[in-house]
Parts: sequence; C-alpha cells; structure tokens
Amino acid sequence: MASGKAVTGSLKLVSVLDLNEASVLHGQLSSMRGKDLSIDASGVDRVGVQCVQVLMAAANAWEEDKKKFVFETVSDAFRKTMQLIGINIDHLLAKEIQQ
Amino acid sequence: MDMNEIKEIFFQECEEQLAELESGLLKLNDGDRDPETVNAVFRAVHSIKGGAGAFGLDDLVSFAHVFETTLDCVRSNKLEPTQDVLKVMLRSADVLADLVSASRDGGSVEESRTRGLLKELEALARGEMPTGGGAAEAPKPAPAKAAAPAPVPAAAPAPAPTDESGFQPIPFTFDGFGADEPAEDLSVFEVSFKPRRDLYAKGNEAALLLRDLSRVGEMSINCDMDQLPAFDKMDPEGAYFSWTIQVKTAKSEQDIRTVFEFAEWDCDLDVKVADSSAEELPMVPVPFDLSILDDGTSDADGDDGGAAEAAAQAVAAAETATNVTKMAAAAARVEKKESQAAAAAAAAAANAANAANAANSAGQTIRVDLDRVDRLINLVGELVINQAMLSQSVIENDTTGTSSINMGLEELQQLTREIQDSVMAIRAQPVKPVFQRMSRIVREVADMVGKSIRLVTEGENTEVDKTVIDKLAEPLTHMIRNAVDHGIESPERREAAGKNPEGTVKLTAKHRSGRIVIELSDDGAGINREKVKQKAIDKDLIPADSNLTDEEIDNLIFMPGFSTADKISDISGRGVGMDVVKRSIQALGGRISISSRPGNGSTFTMSLPLTLAVLDGMVVTVAGQTLVVPLTAIVETLQPEASAIHSFGANQRLISIRNSFCPLVDVGRILNFRSIQANPVEGVALLVESEGGGQRALMVDAIQGQRQVVIKSLEANYTHVPGIAAATILGDGRVALILDVDAVVAASRGQSLRQDSGMKADMSLAATG
Amino acid sequence: MKKKVLTVDDSRTIRNMLLVTLNNAGFETIQAEDGVEGLEVLEECNPDVIVTDINMPRLDGFGFIEGVRRNERYRAVPILVLTTESDAEKKNRARQAGATGWIVKPFDPAKLIDAIERVTA
Repeated sequence: MASGKAVTGSLKLVSVLDLNEASVLHGQLSSMRGKDLSIDASGVDRVGVQCVQVLMAAANAWEEDKKKFVFETVSDAFRKTMQLIGINIDHLLAKEIQQ
Repeated sequence: MDMNEIKEIFFQECEEQLAELESGLLKLNDGDRDPETVNAVFRAVHSIKGGAGAFGLDDLVSFAHVFETTLDCVRSNKLEPTQDVLKVMLRSADVLADLVSASRDGGSVEESRTRGLLKELEALARGEMPTGGGAAEAPKPAPAKAAAPAPVPAAAPAPAPTDESGFQPIPFTFDGFGADEPAEDLSVFEVSFKPRRDLYAKGNEAALLLRDLSRVGEMSINCDMDQLPAFDKMDPEGAYFSWTIQVKTAKSEQDIRTVFEFAEWDCDLDVKVADSSAEELPMVPVPFDLSILDDGTSDADGDDGGAAEAAAQAVAAAETATNVTKMAAAAARVEKKESQAAAAAAAAAANAANAANAANSAGQTIRVDLDRVDRLINLVGELVINQAMLSQSVIENDTTGTSSINMGLEELQQLTREIQDSVMAIRAQPVKPVFQRMSRIVREVADMVGKSIRLVTEGENTEVDKTVIDKLAEPLTHMIRNAVDHGIESPERREAAGKNPEGTVKLTAKHRSGRIVIELSDDGAGINREKVKQKAIDKDLIPADSNLTDEEIDNLIFMPGFSTADKISDISGRGVGMDVVKRSIQALGGRISISSRPGNGSTFTMSLPLTLAVLDGMVVTVAGQTLVVPLTAIVETLQPEASAIHSFGANQRLISIRNSFCPLVDVGRILNFRSIQANPVEGVALLVESEGGGQRALMVDAIQGQRQVVIKSLEANYTHVPGIAAATILGDGRVALILDVDAVVAASRGQSLRQDSGMKADMSLAATG
Repeated sequence: MKKKVLTVDDSRTIRNMLLVTLNNAGFETIQAEDGVEGLEVLEECNPDVIVTDINMPRLDGFGFIEGVRRNERYRAVPILVLTTESDAEKKNRARQAGATGWIVKPFDPAKLIDAIERVTA
C-alpha cells in the first residue's frame, strides 16, 4: 500500500469529563498516538481540571510527534472553562472556529 | 410541608429518641456493654440536639450538648458507665424529656435542676467520678477553660481540643495585615493555589473553586503548566496544574479564603495583598459573567430561567425559614418573661396548635420506586384478565346450582375491581405541578409580547395518572403560549374594545364521569372565523366554496398544516400548530374541542382518561375477529338502513345521518380482514370523530359489549401493526386488538396505513406490558 | 436538568428539613436513613452530590463516605457532611475518609444550598 495521506483519528469527547473520565480519556488518546487527531468537544457540558491536564499533555505529545492535534468544535462550556482556568487553546482550535 | 409540620415531626421523633435513650440507659444499668447500645444512646441525644438547633430551641440544645459530650466519653471508653454514672444519666434523660415537653407545650423547666445536672455531667466528662452524694455540686479545682458555666454550643469551647487532629477552625496566618477589616476600597489580592491529588479525589474540583473565586471580584489568572509530565508518564488523576490569580475586590482576604474552605487541606494556598513590585506573570483577565458554568450550561431549552427562579425561591425560603426560627426563639424568650397566666394561655394555644398539626400529619407518605408500582399495576392487570377468564370458564362449564361458586366469583370480581382502582390511585397525582409550571410560561410569554396577563387556576388538586401528567405538560404549554400570543389581544386593542387591558387565561381541572377534564379559556378576541376560513382556503385545506358552520370553522385550527398567526412567531413555535396538540391529546386517549365567542375569547376543553393502563372500549366483531374500539372515539352507534346508504364512485359509500352525509368505512376491508365489502345493513356503524374533526361511520359486523380492558403494548410484545394501537386479553383468553381509529380514518382517505404511525407509537408507549 | 441530591440521615426531622429545603431550591432529592441504605440507593440514583450525617446506625458517615470513595462509578461525587459546630475531630475524620466539604449544624437552609452550589457544577 502506498504511503499516502496520514490516517486521521477523531475523538468525540463525552459530555461530562470528570475525575472518572480522566483515565478513560488518557486511554483513548494513547490508542490514537501517532495519528493526526481531530477532537470534537461540542458535546462537553462539564470539564474538570484533570481531563484538561490529560488533553494538554496529549497536545504536547502530539506536537513532539509532529502530528496535528486540533479541536474541530468546542462547546461553550468547554471554551469558558478553559478561559476560567487560564488555559489558552486558541492555537489548538480549528481555523473555522477561532475567534 | 412547612416548618411547623416538620417541628411536629421533630417532637414525635424526640419521643421516640427519649424512649430509646431511656431503654438504652437501663440496659447499661443492667450491665449491658454492647458498644451499639452506647452508640444508640449517644445518637438519641445527638438527634434531639440536631433538630432542636434547627428550631432555635436553645435551652434544649445547651443541655443536650453537655449530655452528649458526657455520653461521648462513655462511648470512647474514657468514662466507665458505673451505676452512679448512670444515675446521673437517667436523671439527665428525665430533664431532657422535660425540656422537650417544655419546648413543645410552652412552660419551662426549673433552672436549678438543669444547672445542677449540667454541673454533674460536666464533672463526669472531666473524669471526676460521682461519690453517690451531692459531691459534684461542690466546685472542683478544674482547669478554668473547661468550666463553661452556661454552655451555649457556639461559644462553648470544645472539650479539650484534640491535639492529633491538627485542625484549626480558621487557620489564619498572615503578615500582620489587617485584612480582616472590611476593605473600604478595592484591593488586589494575589492568590497562589496548587491543588494536590487528594483535592480531586475527595470530590473537589479546581475549576469550581476558581469559578467561586471569580465571584469574589475581578479576576486575572495564570495557569502554571510546567509540572505537567510527558503524556505517557502522567497519572491521569494527578494534580499538575497550579495557578496564580489576582483578584481585585472590595471584599476581604477572609472572603477569598472562604472560597477554599473545603479544599485548604488538600492544596497549597497562599493569599496576600498583591505586591506591585512582584515579578510580572502573564496574567489573563477572566471576563467572567457569573452565568458561565452555572447550572444548565447544557440546558438550551430556556429552563435556565427556572433554575434561577428556583434558586431565588430557595434563598427566599431559606430566609423565611431562618426568620421563622429566629421569631420562634424570640417568642419563646418573651414567653418566659410573661406571667404565669400568660404562659398557661400560651400553653393552651400550643396544645390546640398541636392538635391541629396532629390532624394534618395524618397524611403521611412513603416513597416508592415507580418501577415497583408499575410492576404491581401489571400484575393487577393480569389478575383482572385471569379473573375474567375464570368467570368465563365457570359459565361455560355450566356449573349451575353451585351458587356459592357464583357468589364467590362475584365477590372476586368486586375485589379485583377494587384492587385495580386502589393500585391505579397509587399512581395518581395532582395536576398542580404542571399547572404551576404554566404560570411561569404565561409570565414569560406575556412579557415577551408586551401583554399583561393573569393566569387563574382551579382544581389544581385534581388527580390523574402520573403518565398522563407527564405527557400533558407539552401540549398544555403549547396551548398556553398560543392563548397568550394569539388569543389575548394587545392592551391597546383590549382597551379600545372596552375590556380590561389585563387579559385573563384560566386553567381548570376537574373529574367528570371517570375522566379528567381540563379547560383552558382566555378572554381574548376569540377565533376570527373570517380569517381562519380564508387561511384554510388559501392553504387548500378546504374547497373555496365550502359552507361551514361556526363550529366547523373553529375546528379548522386543528387541521394539519394550519397556523393562524400572520407571521410565525418565536413564541408559539415554528409551524407547530394545534394539530400537533390535538394529536398528543388523542395519543393519551383524550379528546379536545374548542368553543369560541367572537370578542369574548375561546375555550379549549380536553377530556382525558385517568389512567393509560386501562381503557373503556367497545368490543366488536369484524370478519370473525374481535376488536376493541376506544369508547372515547365513538360519538354514537347506529343500525344503518338500506335507504340511508348511498354509493358513489367505484366502491365509496356514504351514510346519511340526520340530513348530512358521512363516509362509510368498512373496518374489515381497511385492515384486510376481508376482500369484499360487507353489507352495511347487516352490520353496525360506529360514528367516530377523528383528527381534523371529521366524522366517519366505521362499519363493523356486530357489537359484543362494552368493557374496561387492560392495555398491552403490541410493540413491546410483537411488532407494530398498522391500524392497531395496542392489544388486550379478553375474559375468554382471546387476544383482541385495539383499533387505532385515527389511523383507520386516515387510511379511508386514501392514505396508506403505514405512513401514519407517529401517534400510535405514543399510544403503545403509554400502554403497560 | 435538575441536580440530584442523595441525603443520608437517620433523623426524620432532619430528613424532612433537607427534603423541604432541597425541593424548594429545585433539587431532586433522594433520601436514605443510614450508611447501608445510602450505599444501596447510590447505585440506583446516580446523584450529583451527597449530603450525609455522621452518627447513624448500621453504618456511620465515615464508613459511608469510604464506601462511596471505593465505588468505581461514584467515587468522584462530592460529599458534604453535616457536622456539629464543635466537632473538629469528626470533621477531620470525615475529611480523611474523603468528604468534600461540610455543613455546620444547626441546620440552616441557606448554608446548605450554598455549600451544594459550591461543590457542584
């Protein structure tokens, strides 16, 4: 098979990203390592700091891997929580949704 | 339930606790050393104290507090419950009982008795054993701090602060800065906050703490992510982020620390006045309006208003409750100072109040899982069927002469019916919650359209099956919006018409012949028949030359695709018309009609079954099959005469009823039970009304009778069958299908049976089994 | 969505107060009478927050809190403890067992609602 376009993974975040979800999320992301990744955060109602930590660590790892790590859509709650806890994700947002 | 009722419960509970206390102490006195006995005794006093505190019964709280402290020493084996100790305890129990009575009925307990026992209890707690005499009365050289003379719980020093805990009530250590004083001007605090893993593990959440912090003042934030390890090395549940936050606020340092009250053990926290010379961190302002991340971020439905309202109500209620407590306490104090006579009068009044309360508290409730009730309803449904089958087989086996069997069967039938009714009553609930919701909708919509409207409700306590209530909210909301948006005129127009500028919408519920009737009326302009008819013509719903009665015109609004508003407004919903309302009411086995008086308003009348688990039906025969037709759909039954039948077209027939023509529908043909049309003269016609208000005569072969049947969902047990709403089991054990009248009528108009299934799905959802 | 509160308290008086206060504030309230029942009910009701007393028969508040924190599904649920004013030691023990926060008795509706708002999203 020809090594054409890199495979792109996609991940839809669940609505409540609490303590319980942190390990699940970490596991999901681990299994997608090495692929470009587009994340759909449009359904997120609640996000805790631990899941944010996982996402940010993943963003760093993807950057090291020189793979894309993009939030395609983010919910209001997700965007606002990031703002509240002082984390800038503008550079991780898909072009279309950057403000 | 209000505070007075709860107070009554409290006193009832006190009686139980006092009994528990006494029997426990007596057991201990008999040498019982089971730790659970001591625990039970401790809990009894603890409970009394807890409740008394909530009602501001200070005397009771003070005494219970000291008693509890002493009992705790017994519990923790610091104090041996000797007979002498127990003597003090039992006397204390008596005083506690007297204090409870005094709190309930007014009056007081001799202060010397209370004071003496308090001293003895305190002495015991200090480890001073009673000598059996009045030795404890003598002042002992006790450490000054433990000799709390008047133990008011809030002020009483905790008995010897436990050193192992390391707990400090409000751990304030900062650089001699008077941050405790309310700051006059805005000051900027710098907060550094580093959570530890435990903070999250205990259910705290840094994001929520930061949310609360943002409410203290204007906030800028910097998140330190340096501690974040590599992705594959990290503990997903670790705590890596930490924050430096600047808060500009008029509030004090304490207010900021209060935010972290629950978390301060599980984080590194530093709060100080921002030093202007401090190193510049890239701070990001948090443009925070407080709605962010509040309740209902996921709630697009406009329920947010409800949450806010509920919160406001809660605060109000809370304030009221606190005030009630305070007032009660104040009243109690006043009472004490009054003369004997006044106290006696107060006691009498209290007794009267108690009697009244006791009468009220008769309506006690238990909470039961809905599933359990549904299972019971199902079983009773089976029982009804079984009983019917049993009766049938007795009749068939013709056991004449054994009248005792027949009598027994009759009683069984009676009992079964009663059980069924009682079980149904369990699910019955007042329509009040739904009605209450409507008042908010009226307010909101009225505000939106700039009208002034009053909602009057009646019969809120009318009860109906919970399922019906749940499904009622949506159509009702829609109708209320319609009434406010379209029904009631603008204040100017009302005034011009000589009406009160304030409109009235009235919502009533009542029981009528085994059904619930809900009426929604407005005192608006009524249906504009001219306009409605024109609209229907424009939309090709009726022929341009139709000659319709007023009633028929009014009912046009229930036709699919009809919407009277010139513009589709946001309020009444986009294109969702009264046809949808009508369908949802019908899906509940209900009917809806409208009556309108031009200039005086409209009234919608809905009649609904009290339960969705049973149905009153007419049992009929069609092509050898037994079917059940919901009684609510049938207007009348008639025996067609040959002269009344008129054929037209290939196989269309009409029946003339009192000078009007009504299409005749052969149910057997529609359901494909037979291929040739039955002779109408040999059968019976059921005149039914269906959606759109049209009447049809349904041809069946014979009527077997009327009876209440238990609805069994076909979908759940078999599969959806076009034209059939559900099934039931008759007394002879046969399965009978319940006809979906609307689907059959629609099919008779040439629509395929298959297309029209939306509402049957509803119906079968509602069915049990 | 209404927030769901599980309350665990053996006192009928307090249970009623909690019920009235929470219902008035727009919460859905589920009640258990002691720690054992609390753990049973927990499985069915999936609460957003738990309010528990300490002194209870069968299983006390400490045991109950530990039970919740050991539960894979519900270990993240915030737990508020009803404590009495002078119970420094108990508060500390509750904290070590995994309590999220506390509400100091005597029962005050405003404080209760405030504490719940603080620990829930």
